[in-house]
Amino acid sequence: MKKLFNIYLLLTILFLFTGCAGVREFFGEFVDKFAHRLPDKVPDNANILLSSSYLEKALEYEKNDKLQTALFYMQIAGTLNPDSTIIPGKITSLKSTIDHKAKEHFTEGVTFYKKQRFKDAQGQFLTTLRYAPGHKEALDYLKNRLHPKEHLNYKVKEKDTLKGISKKFYEDPSKDFLIAYFNNLETGKEPVPGTFLELPILGSEFNQPMIDIRIELKKAENLLKEKQYREVLDVSEKILEYDRLNKKASDLINSAYYQIGLELSGQEKYPEAIKMFKNVTSNYQGVEEAIQHAINKELFKAKNLLKQKQYEQALAVAGKILDYDKSNKTAKNLINTAFCQQGKNLIIRKNYTEALNVLSKADPQYNCVKKTTSDVYKAKKKQAEVHYLKGVKYFLNEELQSAIKEWEKTLSLNPKHKKAKKNVKNARSLLDKLDKIK
Amino acid sequence: MQRSVNRIKTISGLVFLLSLLMLAGCATGTRSHHKMSEIRSGDFIIVTTTSKDTLSSLAAEYLNDPSKEWLISEFNHIKSLTPGQKLIIPLFSFNKSGLKSVGYQTVPVLAYYSFSENKPNKISITQDDFKAQMKYLKENNYHVIKLDQLLDFLDYKEQIPGKSVVITFDDGWSSVYDFATPILKKYGFPATFFIYTDFIGGGKAMSWKQIKELSEAGFDIQCQTKTHRNLATLKKKESFKEYFNSLEMEISYPKKLFKNKLNKECKCLAYPYGITNNLVIAMLKKHGYRAAFTVEQESNSFFIDNYKIRRSAIYGEYDIEKFKNKLSVFHNMELK
Repeated sequence: MKKLFNIYLLLTILFLFTGCAGVREFFGEFVDKFAHRLPDKVPDNANILLSSSYLEKALEYEKNDKLQTALFYMQIAGTLNPDSTIIPGKITSLKSTIDHKAKEHFTEGVTFYKKQRFKDAQGQFLTTLRYAPGHKEALDYLKNRLHPKEHLNYKVKEKDTLKGISKKFYEDPSKDFLIAYFNNLETGKEPVPGTFLELPILGSEFNQPMIDIRIELKKAENLLKEKQYREVLDVSEKILEYDRLNKKASDLINSAYYQIGLELSGQEKYPEAIKMFKNVTSNYQGVEEAIQHAINKELFKAKNLLKQKQYEQALAVAGKILDYDKSNKTAKNLINTAFCQQGKNLIIRKNYTEALNVLSKADPQYNCVKKTTSDVYKAKKKQAEVHYLKGVKYFLNEELQSAIKEWEKTLSLNPKHKKAKKNVKNARSLLDKLDKIK
Repeated sequence: MQRSVNRIKTISGLVFLLSLLMLAGCATGTRSHHKMSEIRSGDFIIVTTTSKDTLSSLAAEYLNDPSKEWLISEFNHIKSLTPGQKLIIPLFSFNKSGLKSVGYQTVPVLAYYSFSENKPNKISITQDDFKAQMKYLKENNYHVIKLDQLLDFLDYKEQIPGKSVVITFDDGWSSVYDFATPILKKYGFPATFFIYTDFIGGGKAMSWKQIKELSEAGFDIQCQTKTHRNLATLKKKESFKEYFNSLEMEISYPKKLFKNKLNKECKCLAYPYGITNNLVIAMLKKHGYRAAFTVEQESNSFFIDNYKIRRSAIYGEYDIEKFKNKLSVFHNMELK
């Protein structure tokens, strides 16, 4: 009685703390443990009977071409009767039939697809998937490849620009923003060659130029009057994107660049001004004179720099002039003179290697270059003799190590100095003998 | 003294009886009564049914979802149970695509617009007609499934019942809230509301409060752009750049707004007027939409383009026969 009361008390406490769920869980585990101790719930022969009936069903499904269902029933039959010697063989054979059928229909589907017989291809891929629900390629054809694409893939080539690609695909360079948007490209950045871009396929209604050229020209003319030259360029270049031969737009561009050049000249920004003038067609009235004027100003600057022995700056200014006017003799003279001056300075500093290096950048036909180069070699030879004599003095004072150092300096300046070579050899031999005596 | 002892004994007896009753109550819970007679494997369970079983109780017990009764019913080709019969309960989607040797499964997606009490017109349907249509679905064993279930079917992830239907409502009319939702609730049918956000709170439109209520009641709220403009064509005098910017706004804005207001992810879009183009689809994908709906009047196979899902518009002038014609759930085609 006391025991029963204790069990009752325990259950009541369990109920109070955990509710029905707790009580059920407690009993559930208890029942489960008990059930595991029981012998098999269904007797073996009953399982074998059940297995036979499922196998029979499986064979019926197989006969009706429902192969996946047949396979499932065969697997159930096999689970119920693991000792069966027939079922594993049947499963293997059915799996092989399924694979064969799936392969056959898939191949046929691909053939239809290649012939663009899409409806027939679809039927074959569906059949493939019916036989083999896990056939990923058939699924890919059905879900992706058989649907019209909404974008094209494009591999970026060398020198491709977004505007160029846009012009090619949309007949409209101004749709470059669309490519940038769908490919997460930063505005103003060009695509990297070799990468792939996704280009949405637009309907023909979107491929027409979306600008009215007459209105745009008027706009550009007004901007020119208002001296908004950069804006003139933007509008006119847009017009040319649609109508490459539009003369009015070209004239507007010439005027804008010319005016920008004049503005920069006025600010004594001659290299930038020349850059702008160079964008204007050469027959544009006044442009050649404007370029010459800017160049002369730059030459004057270079000459002054040379006078002030600021060779690097002089070279930079004169070099830029040659960028705009390759045959400008004055600029060339300035450059060679600057190199010669640098060379002479290096001779004074006995830096013969650097002097030769600088002179090698100059035009060797220039007299000053020829003379300075020859002066370098002479100075080198002279300096070699100085070191040679110093070496002799050391030798006579029996300072063999110092003597060797001097003769080595001679050889570095004049590797063909025979006496220095011979003396170094003899001095080393003497040093060896002295070492042995010690 | 004796009286008080008797009273204590009576009270203790009552408490004892009450607690026994409570414990007995626990014993009549939902725990499996099949354990002793079932056979389990990785992919299936074989059970012998009892008189207490229903398809739904078996689905609850073995598939953890009573609404999955159809899975047992369709696999065993049965509509009801006979006690003592052996049933196979598949533990996986045995036919994800609904493919058979004679064709494939299709899913009708019904599109409704507004409702009126008794005056139907093209886009407005009466409450009585809607009631009759829902009753027809229930009585003829159609399964009204959630939009997510349809998407999983289209993505070849999950099997759905053989006779599946999806119900959707466009625009966000308040008449839908007044007339349709009580009927949906009565039948326990899920539905999706595609709403364009500029309409919300307008004269005949649902308010945010109503939309929130629907969302909290388990109905699905999805996007139908901001202004309901035709996404596929340029407006008069609209430049391509302006059109593009407008698309971007129509597609991105409602997504953010629903997230803010309802804390729900808008993953589908119904195209205004059912029309789309490649650019719109590309933009939907970029903004993370999973699917989009047209009003092409046909049912959907699993291999349809997810951004061109068809819907059958149900108009006010439709009688029940026309409605039935919209419920095609299978497409015949020899697949051998």
